[in-house]
Amino acid sequence: MIEDLKELWRYRDLVRSLVLRDLAVRYKNSVLGFFWSLANPLVQVATITIVFKYVLNIGIPNYSAYVLCAFLPWMFFQMTLSDAGESVLRHLDLLKKVYFPREALPISVALANLVHLLLALGVFFVYLLVLGVAVEPGWLLLPVALALQLALNLGLAFFVSALSVFYEDIRYLVGVSTNLFFYFCPVIYLSEQILVSEKIPQALRARIWEVYHWNPMATYLEWYRQLLLPRFVGKGIEDVPLAMHHLAIAAAISLVTLVAGYAFFNNRKWLFAERP
Amino acid sequence: MGLEVAVRLIDVRKRFRLAHHPVNTLKGALAGFLRRRYEDLWALKGITLTVEKGETVALVGRNGSGKSTLLGLLGRVYLPTSGVVEVHGRVAALLELGAGFHPDLTGEQNVLLNGVILGMRERDVRQSLDSIIEFAELERFRDAPLRSYSAGMVMRLGFSVAVHTRPDVLLVDEVLAVGDEAFQQKCLRKIRQFQNEGKTIIFVSHDLESVRSVATRCVWLHEGLVNADGPVEPVLEQYLQAMRA
Repeated sequence: MIEDLKELWRYRDLVRSLVLRDLAVRYKNSVLGFFWSLANPLVQVATITIVFKYVLNIGIPNYSAYVLCAFLPWMFFQMTLSDAGESVLRHLDLLKKVYFPREALPISVALANLVHLLLALGVFFVYLLVLGVAVEPGWLLLPVALALQLALNLGLAFFVSALSVFYEDIRYLVGVSTNLFFYFCPVIYLSEQILVSEKIPQALRARIWEVYHWNPMATYLEWYRQLLLPRFVGKGIEDVPLAMHHLAIAAAISLVTLVAGYAFFNNRKWLFAERP
Repeated sequence: MGLEVAVRLIDVRKRFRLAHHPVNTLKGALAGFLRRRYEDLWALKGITLTVEKGETVALVGRNGSGKSTLLGLLGRVYLPTSGVVEVHGRVAALLELGAGFHPDLTGEQNVLLNGVILGMRERDVRQSLDSIIEFAELERFRDAPLRSYSAGMVMRLGFSVAVHTRPDVLLVDEVLAVGDEAFQQKCLRKIRQFQNEGKTIIFVSHDLESVRSVATRCVWLHEGLVNADGPVEPVLEQYLQAMRA
């Protein structure tokens, strides 16, 4: 693995160029292109906000800010996995002709989506100014949160990109399961609702709260919210500060996923070009 | 003077799996798991070959004799199933020019990307940018997206990037046979320049005229084995005789 990393380092310019190409193609070399790519999350968040504010009456001021704050990192997760499914497959012709470290492909996909998230967060800060929501000093820890989520995304991207080469169903499986997984992450709801839900017996709530945080994405989305936004104020629901052991679990799972994913990918990467 | 080895192959074998059912799906994998319905295809069955620095070796043989597989192994696209593949120095593969180009990017952006795909540092590509574009005769189209290029223009650009990577060992797969007359002449001149600079060239060609005019040595591959190896004329003669039979 050390040798693979050294070789990857020799090809660092390739990773950078692939990221720039991804962004250039996505934004079609135009300023408007960037805003088009933001349109989708913004429309979804607007819809969610309207439903929650006027139909379900959640009663939390500036709810859309809380939704958007989780939705943008969620998009980072989802887009990385769906792009990863194509990252190697799309370049099979190239792989059959040219040598280069194959991991440059999933890595560039993850990094391109990270850059996209950073640009979207820039817009998010402007949005907060418009809403009049104060930005918390916690954003100084944002790079740590981003790095940990990147480790998780990239680790999964290694698995997805390698498996998609040999089993084309994987891409569909990933699409369906991320859609389902969405509801296990606190994007359109607040995780604290578990602690006050009347549908869950009082005795079980703390247990479920713990199990819920075995999902690193749940922890990260909560963390982003607490880093970037003031504590929410709601009727009968309280903002619970992130527990350190939840963060430790999430970080451990992410790093193990990264290392395991890279090893898995490396074991198969020279077979991609031989795909029957 | 001591001869330097550029390429060394020791008893190299390469097996491909030929599937008789769709294996790239979970269903196919399951079916394949239950009853293994693939066939082993030995593309190379034990090749031992040493190429010295400065040689220009032509690989000839019928379709499916293992020529492209051999180039793939030298270009590190495949790993050998067994045996040793050693290549000394920087390898550049002129295999199907323009692989890795993107239609939405401009000529210049594509050159930058293709250069780093072929293993150059970005600043080196930037330094050669003008001469790459000039060699391809595409100054006017530098900032136009690749989709507006003709097939010949794409090919010229691909060739130009590949020869500017300063390779020590050049792998060429049938490139000499594409493009118009002027482009072919240009390729040929560049290849001669590489020969004069003492670089090693290994190429596959079905065009025996170009084999005669360029190669210093000829290797005839037949069903994954070396059938004959040596000076161009005698090997070609044997090869042609076998083809006529």
